[in-house]
Amino acid sequence: MSQQAEKREARSSRNALRSYLGAYGFMAPAGVLVVVFFLIPVAIILYLSVTNLASSNFTSNLAAMEYIGLRNYETLLNDQFARKIFFNTIFYVLFTLSIFNVSLALIVSLLTTHIDRGAGFVFRALWILPRITSPVVYILIWKRMMAEAPFGILNQFNNWLGMPTYNYIATNPWVFVVVVNGFIGLSFGMIIFTSAIESIPKDLLNASLVDGSSKLQRIRYVILPLIRWPLLFVFTYQTLSLLTSFVEIQLLTDGGPGLYRTEVWSLTAYHRALSNYFGNAQWGYGSAFAVLLVLIGVVLAVIYMRVFRFDELVAEPRVETL
Amino acid sequence: MLRRLLFAFVLLLLLSSVAGIALAQDAVSITVRCKASPPEEDWRCNNFAVVEEEVEAELGIEIDLNLIQDNAGWGDYKNEFVLASEAGEAPDIILSGHEDIGAWAPAGFIIPLDDVIGMHSEFDDIVPSLWDSHGYAGQIWGIPQDAEARPIFYSKLLLRDLGWSEEDIESLPDRVAAGEWTFADMLATAEAAIDEGIVDEGNGWWHRPSNGPDFLYYYYGHGGEVLDMEGNLVVDSEALVATYELLGGAVASGVLRSDVIGLDWNEVWHPTVAQADTVLFAAGGTWNWPNWAINYVADKGGDEFLFENIGLTLIPAMATGNAITLTHPLTYMISSGSENPDVALELIAAITTPEHNNKHAIDSFHLGILNAQLQSEAYANNRLLSSAHYMLDHTTALPNHPGWNAWSNAYFLGIQAVETGEADAAGAAEIAIAQMQNELGDGIAVR
Repeated sequence: MSQQAEKREARSSRNALRSYLGAYGFMAPAGVLVVVFFLIPVAIILYLSVTNLASSNFTSNLAAMEYIGLRNYETLLNDQFARKIFFNTIFYVLFTLSIFNVSLALIVSLLTTHIDRGAGFVFRALWILPRITSPVVYILIWKRMMAEAPFGILNQFNNWLGMPTYNYIATNPWVFVVVVNGFIGLSFGMIIFTSAIESIPKDLLNASLVDGSSKLQRIRYVILPLIRWPLLFVFTYQTLSLLTSFVEIQLLTDGGPGLYRTEVWSLTAYHRALSNYFGNAQWGYGSAFAVLLVLIGVVLAVIYMRVFRFDELVAEPRVETL
Repeated sequence: MLRRLLFAFVLLLLLSSVAGIALAQDAVSITVRCKASPPEEDWRCNNFAVVEEEVEAELGIEIDLNLIQDNAGWGDYKNEFVLASEAGEAPDIILSGHEDIGAWAPAGFIIPLDDVIGMHSEFDDIVPSLWDSHGYAGQIWGIPQDAEARPIFYSKLLLRDLGWSEEDIESLPDRVAAGEWTFADMLATAEAAIDEGIVDEGNGWWHRPSNGPDFLYYYYGHGGEVLDMEGNLVVDSEALVATYELLGGAVASGVLRSDVIGLDWNEVWHPTVAQADTVLFAAGGTWNWPNWAINYVADKGGDEFLFENIGLTLIPAMATGNAITLTHPLTYMISSGSENPDVALELIAAITTPEHNNKHAIDSFHLGILNAQLQSEAYANNRLLSSAHYMLDHTTALPNHPGWNAWSNAYFLGIQAVETGEADAAGAAEIAIAQMQNELGDGIAVR
């Protein structure tokens, strides 16, 4: 090999190394966050889940905790309500996601980008209110609105109109769990979809109208295909987000009424490990619930990435590879 | 001249700083953590501030007293102490339910007091039965702060509408205590009130809308036990089924709402019961009374309105034939992390007097803990306390056991099942027992 060729090869390998270091350097802050706030906590709860840690033997010394193998998982699998709570979770995620977090978010985005810009902004700002309101205040508003007569605002109207009154939330707990969470989740999709629609080049949109398409046809054949990636991102992100969300359910129904009617998996983990009226919280047992939730989340994330072909989303643009 | 003045000023400044440092070094820091509903329960922590100087003078030390008092939820409050203990930042004195002894004593978060209780004569006067709920593993782990009764509140207003004479109404507590007027009579009265349109269906009787100690007296009332003679957890299936039959039957007959569990305490339960015009019988706690007087019927006359329209009685006799109630004493416990447990106990002793405890008892309608207090003029002449104190003779308590939360949560599941119609009484008992066995394993005996 000539000296020049050797120099060229050395330069090329230096460039490759620099490029790798650059890429990993840029990823390092996010990587550290993932390790500190995800991998380490997961490792800790995995360990806690094989101990009998509770308030009555609580210690932060990992070595002092009593190892009990898979007994917490056995208890969990033998729990007569575990299956019900699991399907509650699927029901909650599926309905909130499909009705509000994706569908309604898309409809609101499409509607507010097809009306006067200022009016669209005002409507979107209104839809964001549930998200920026403190969960406690937000749920208090719902409870005040829906409380039974003579306390609830809606029942006041029923009284005036001579209609029967209801204890709305107790009668239809799932409707309210989905709606209350959906109103919060909707704003996330709405922001992503709106910015995606707004970033579509105007000449593309105008060209379709010039070509004679109606606004509906333009949505169907131009806008929707162009916001495919944001749609898939919202679908994936919100699935995982809903799987772990429970604050609003805790404040609204606390998993009731009756036998775990609206209890979801993450709320059970919280109830077991962190909150109990009579104290003696079961940290180890609650961690077993949390570990399974992590597992479900990871499996779903991998499935979504495969099915939705996320590698295409992050692939180098074809124009760059020419 | 100016120079001398400046010198004197600097000297004074130095001396005062040195004195300040010396005093600060001598000051004993004591942190007290209390849960209290303001304003009626504020004496739980505030009493310590009242006796601070007295204890300082007695011990010849300076106390740096830090009181932390709020009305956090019980679950969060208890977790806070567990985490603070492990982090080495626990308060010196923690006020909590006596049942926490069952979890915190084996964890080593609180210290046993047997050897030091005798050093303070104030504790000699505590009503002996209250010590029963402060023991674990043969030792005493806390000092009672208050006691209470969990009675049935009855609406005099609605009983009058039902045709009861004043004599019938006023004699009800005595008839209940004697076992003459039973729980079955209460349900029959509620049914009659519904039939006559005096109260709506479901408003004949309300119990509490969330899990809590009260529910245990229905089980006790049917002869059930939670601990055997050796202190192990047990569940009596017959008593359990009978309890669920009682609750499920009350819903089926329209006396009790099927959705009473889940009602909001502050938005629905208290405002409705306090008005005395909607619910005939309500199972609550003595401390509800001042809360109602201050927050819900103040505009109608507060205490006077309540005396005129609401009465309180023991829980009428069920299968055992004896009227009962349940007391859930809050207790001052001393953290094992406290660097000055002697000073902490001295402070607790100083507030364990008729004078100081009466302030709490009278303001919050909690029952007294000291014999002398019961004979004191302020206590004896208090109309509310004198109407309820006899209930301590009929009281029961929660067990102190690490497995109590699993037991009680399973028991509550059965109540939810039977009241919402998701299971009959036998099915609800099966659910509860299966849950107890799954979570407690060999730690529970089914009888």
